[in-house]
Amino acid sequence: MQKNIKIITEHWGKINPLKIEDYVFVGGYEALKKFIEKSDSKGALEAVKLSRLSGRGGAGFLTGVKWEMVAAQKGEKYFVCNLDESEPGTYKDRLIAENNPHLLLEGIVLSALTIGAKKSYIYLNGNYEKAKEVLARAILQAQERKFLGTKILGSKYSLEIEIFSGAGAYICGEETALLSSIEGNRGEPKMRPPYPTESGLFGKPTVVNNAETITNIPWIIQNGGKKYLKCATKLFVLGGSVKNVGVFEAPIATTIDEAITKLGGGMQEGKEFWFAQVGGASGGLYLEKELGRTILGSGAILVVDKTANIYDLLLSWTGFFRRESCGKCVPCREGTFRLHEIAERLADGEIADRDKEALNDILWTLENTTFCPLGKFAAVAVRDAIDKLGILK
Amino acid sequence: MQIKINNKKYSAKVGETIFQVCMREGIKIPTLCGAKFSHEGLCRICVVEFTGRLITSCNTKVCKDMELVTESEKISKARRINLELLWADHAGKCATCKKNRLCDLQKLAEEYKIENFHFVPRKGEMTNSEEQKLLRDNWSRVVVENENPCISRNSEFCVECRKCINICPEKKFGFNHRARDVVVGTPYEKVLNCSFCGKCVEVCPVAALTDQNDFSKIIEDLDDLKKFSVVVIDLEMDGKIREQLKNISHEQNFEKIFFDLGFEKIIKLEEKDRNEEDEIMKQIKTDYARKEKIDPKNICMFFISSKIYKKVRKNEYLDYVLSEREVVRLVRDRGNIVAGKMKIKA
Repeated sequence: MQKNIKIITEHWGKINPLKIEDYVFVGGYEALKKFIEKSDSKGALEAVKLSRLSGRGGAGFLTGVKWEMVAAQKGEKYFVCNLDESEPGTYKDRLIAENNPHLLLEGIVLSALTIGAKKSYIYLNGNYEKAKEVLARAILQAQERKFLGTKILGSKYSLEIEIFSGAGAYICGEETALLSSIEGNRGEPKMRPPYPTESGLFGKPTVVNNAETITNIPWIIQNGGKKYLKCATKLFVLGGSVKNVGVFEAPIATTIDEAITKLGGGMQEGKEFWFAQVGGASGGLYLEKELGRTILGSGAILVVDKTANIYDLLLSWTGFFRRESCGKCVPCREGTFRLHEIAERLADGEIADRDKEALNDILWTLENTTFCPLGKFAAVAVRDAIDKLGILK
Repeated sequence: MQIKINNKKYSAKVGETIFQVCMREGIKIPTLCGAKFSHEGLCRICVVEFTGRLITSCNTKVCKDMELVTESEKISKARRINLELLWADHAGKCATCKKNRLCDLQKLAEEYKIENFHFVPRKGEMTNSEEQKLLRDNWSRVVVENENPCISRNSEFCVECRKCINICPEKKFGFNHRARDVVVGTPYEKVLNCSFCGKCVEVCPVAALTDQNDFSKIIEDLDDLKKFSVVVIDLEMDGKIREQLKNISHEQNFEKIFFDLGFEKIIKLEEKDRNEEDEIMKQIKTDYARKEKIDPKNICMFFISSKIYKKVRKNEYLDYVLSEREVVRLVRDRGNIVAGKMKIKA
């Protein structure tokens, strides 16, 4: 494994995100030029498939497979960049947009052209004001230099990118809800199938990719999929009781343990490791003996030491889901509310047997009967807290 | 194609949902959010088991060699928990509710033996500060609107099934707010202003949308010995009333039902009278009153119809418009009265 290779964060802090010259100077838009020269979208698709690049949003679906489904279809298509990052403790996508917006734009242009889309949306979290400014300016600069717009670099390709600012709802990170939101409807998940790859935005085939996934594309086009397979990286967001907190880029095979000790520099002085929550508020809890695994998806690691109050954490998790549930289906709307209610009683130290019974019932119905994954996520951390930390004992 | 439901083979067409196949074959699946015309999968009560997983039958299409189970311990558990969650969110004022014994949720709660055991009910009126503290934020927005002439709205009873949202031809309703605060309402909670076709009231499984009428006044008028109550029954009402009535009473004789309620003269519209009801009602209050020597002021004219928009355009010849639901409600509330009142001439 090659060490210290950086695909996404290489130029962070070194170039001025507001200047396209800086990005071009360090080799930006070379991948796009290469793509346009060869004019070989099939080859690009092959490269992405070879790279086995998987979605960095949470589900970890293979990007190449998703693209192939849409690329095979004719007619109008859309490409959507999912930048509606609202998982608590995750801010990697915001940093991508703020530190190197042109890398993201180049990725979007390449992806959209590969699948044959002529219109692309960036669905931005409504709270990301700065990222919106930076991206809007970057789009204008790229248009000026013909990296965007009609007849990109004088070729037959054209692409329009629009920034769509959401209202900061967590549920809109779910792709069908995100598409509903762009269409102007209430941000609510839709029944799948049909998947967005068949009938997505405005009923047309649509690819929705996470921003981090997209930023890998220029490198893959430039260096080939095989090479990427060997040195794939992903972003880790470390938080909690480690020495260094922040966003780090590391090989994808990095285990949780390695991330904490090598990237995070180990535990802070005098603090004892209790558990790590991996994947934001919707993530599971991992005890010391389970840290040997690698992680998929959003890459957020919250390290909790033994001085933390588990009831505060419970309140924070359940409060988040109670607030962010869209209210569509019964188990999630009512279940997340009741979960928080019981968490409040737990924090007060007054929990009755019937509450324990109810807690188990709600977690069960959230895991088994909710409409979309959000409901299932809402149960994960609480379930782990009961099973692994024994909060009910 | 062949599918297996509860280990028995059935044939199904491509594109059919599991719920549709089950309905056709007479396999009962409970639902609240209306699997018949919408496939939203909101209530999560119509779940069935497929390869050990729970899926909603209303919006899952059948596929070849599917093996389904429609009743199991797991399914009952899911239905029980989800109903209990809904029940706790519901007002739970059954005894005084307009829809008592006519309510889908109540029926399901009875079937699955639901009671408010685990949760503090979160809709209702708070009384003292102690209760307020207990309920803390166990409280949600309730929208009550009785200002429009035809439809009485009270979100206290609402189970957010979206039937009204889906059926409204004018798209007057929608979800407001989100998560636990979700409320079915009009944009900016303005007073409902539409053509009052009454479809939403028809589909509402609970008492969130009901007919607007002054019931105490109706009962007073019916009981008033001086008043001569005439009822005009619209076409196609027999079936509609029977449909609703089957939960309440076994009485099939309409003459008897209306006579028991206190109507003295019953006029059934026939096919030739379609849309002529105004003319007939005018005749009663003018010609008939003259003939029978009754003061028109003492004639109380009822029109039983699904056309609840008539409430907006009531004229001097028409006093009350009752929907089939209100007739059944009257039957329910006055079920113990054995005989009608005597015909009194003024």
